Amino acid sequence: MATICLVGNPNCGKSTLFNKVTNTIAHVGNWAGVTVEEKAGDWDGNKTLDLPGIYSLSPYSPEETLSRRFILDSEPDLIIDVIDATNLERSLYLTTQLVELGRPMILALNMQDLLRKEGIKIDQKQLSKMFNIPVVNISASKGTGIEELKIAVDKILSDKVIPSCPIFAPPLEKVITELIEDDFMHHAPQAYPRRWCAIKLLEKDELFLTRMPQIPEKLQAHLAQETKNLEKIFDDDIDAIVIDQRYHIAEDITRICEVKASPVKKFTIDTIVTNKFLAIPIFVLVMGLVFYLSISLVGGLTTPLIEQSIASSSSFLHIFLDSFGVLPFLSDMLIDGIISGVGAVLTFLPQLFVLFALLSILEDCGYMSRIAFIMDRAMRALGLSGKSIIPLVIGTGCSVPAIMSTRTIEHPKMRKLTILVTPFIPCGAKLPIFSLIIASFFPTAWYLAPMMYFIGIIAITVTGIISQLTDRHKESNAFILELPRYQVPTWRNTWLQTWDRTRGFVVKAGTTILLASIIIWFFSNFNVRLQSVSDPTESMLALLGRFIAPIFRPLGFGSWQASVALLTGIAAKESIVSTLSVALQGASVTTLFTKASGFAFIMFILLSSPCIAALSAMASEYKDRKVFWGALAYQMTLAYVSTFIVYRILLGVL
Amino acid sequence: MNNKTVEHLNVGESGTISTIKAPKAIKRRLMDMGFTKGISVNVVKRAPMGDPIEVSLRGYNLCIRKEQAQDLLLKEN
Repeated sequence: MATICLVGNPNCGKSTLFNKVTNTIAHVGNWAGVTVEEKAGDWDGNKTLDLPGIYSLSPYSPEETLSRRFILDSEPDLIIDVIDATNLERSLYLTTQLVELGRPMILALNMQDLLRKEGIKIDQKQLSKMFNIPVVNISASKGTGIEELKIAVDKILSDKVIPSCPIFAPPLEKVITELIEDDFMHHAPQAYPRRWCAIKLLEKDELFLTRMPQIPEKLQAHLAQETKNLEKIFDDDIDAIVIDQRYHIAEDITRICEVKASPVKKFTIDTIVTNKFLAIPIFVLVMGLVFYLSISLVGGLTTPLIEQSIASSSSFLHIFLDSFGVLPFLSDMLIDGIISGVGAVLTFLPQLFVLFALLSILEDCGYMSRIAFIMDRAMRALGLSGKSIIPLVIGTGCSVPAIMSTRTIEHPKMRKLTILVTPFIPCGAKLPIFSLIIASFFPTAWYLAPMMYFIGIIAITVTGIISQLTDRHKESNAFILELPRYQVPTWRNTWLQTWDRTRGFVVKAGTTILLASIIIWFFSNFNVRLQSVSDPTESMLALLGRFIAPIFRPLGFGSWQASVALLTGIAAKESIVSTLSVALQGASVTTLFTKASGFAFIMFILLSSPCIAALSAMASEYKDRKVFWGALAYQMTLAYVSTFIVYRILLGVL
Repeated sequence: MNNKTVEHLNVGESGTISTIKAPKAIKRRLMDMGFTKGISVNVVKRAPMGDPIEVSLRGYNLCIRKEQAQDLLLKEN
């Protein structure tokens, strides 16, 4: 079994190709940094890896470091360099680095469909000769050229042809040749080709030098001398010289292989979307539309329908099971435990499906980078960057992928802050409890649902301001982000992603929430002596709830039911409604809360710790226990204090 | 000595890069993205709050902050 790595610039279509050829689903989107983790799949018996997109092998952010480590250390049998053919020159810059790794390679010229549209022609044969590697024309989204690619893969896996490296300008080339011959090179890892090592040595590449012993003094002096010479000849620093040389090669090859129709200045969507005055209103409008379509429109239509059918099937089932003489214990567990618990969650399935689909379209079309562009200035005031807005938008669906997507933020401090504030954006799983409380206490207040997002934004702002005030080492950071071409999302990608996320929700309803509902039902119907109780206040669950409840009494929701619901919410936020509906045993939530305490309850859920899946995502991204616990403590404190204040104010007003 | 940078270009104007005066890591990043000596950069647009700036080079678009634009020195016509 061979290992194949898919490598290329962000947005070149690696993941689309990966989804096409393997049986695995990788997340696809049209912004730099969609793939933050390697993903393995099987392509006709070959292990195929989809790696995060990179512009160069000099890594800056965590996901780029990961790609580089993989390409170098996993010793793949084949590297498929996926190239956005409409962006040949910049793509070839990475190619000039990949060919030096001494692994068999294929160039996959992707986006053939767009190429024709833009009037670009690429001489495939000529390009193939330049690097001595096969070149295949494909269109991953349209699915063309995949068979040819497979044939090329099989051929090269048996031939094992090694690409030839481009030659730099003579003075630089001379130094590299000398370094290759140096005895010190024997210390380099076997898998690393000498030429590559020599260049890295010259560049003083930190990641490479950690793999090497101390450089001998004599070589050190020689390197310093040669570097000084080169810097004098080229009038630039050594890093810049090498990059410059690589781009010269990319330019030369592009000039030889590409025929481009002169670009016509076309009207683009950006004229409106990133317009000085319209950009921000449009952003607000787009997000508003996403929530209106999913939650208000689809949710409003389907929720009563599903609730009704669950209620009528429950009562039918009751009669049915009774007539068969099924033990009341079992039928109660099934109907009051499982059906009401799982049902309370499934009610939200249609609107979450629409929400996930719309978010997937937003990611796919190229708008995400534009949001980062227009919001960067505002985010900077909070110690965040434009790139922080992407996790926040994704976070409206689910915090887990949102927290992972922070990896594209190069600067560690900004990344930590973004991870901290991402859970303040209410995820889809928190919607059920919001709607339950809002519908029960404030049925006419249409503005309350949007207000929940607004409260989240305020929490982010407050956190940002605090961090800015306490940060004693402010540094200026770079913000460099590609604005990819807009594209029409493909049905296949949208469907795959929406299905993947919705399925996660359904699976959770069928496992975690099912189990939680049974446990909750059991604990709320039995006391510590395992005797069935008719009054739930005597149950074990009530006992446990009463134990925690005093903590929440100052916030207005000190009932045992509310406390238990918050506890199960740690497992999954959807189970808060399930727990309440099981624990209340048919009674209305209005018996449990007042207007003020009901609002305090959802506000606390909004701001307090996320679910266990998001917590573990936070922990693994922070990589530092202390930072993680600090972040969690901050979230809990902010939630507690602000809910307390709001509850006290509401008590006076309502 | 010409001190004109990409930041000085109006929307729609182009300039040719002469040197990059940025800290090592940022300079490397900018060069990796294609900002090398002699390359032509066109200012496409400024964000609603005047910053960042959208530029096009080598046939694609990207955005950089004002600070980075000030690091990109231009050649005299």
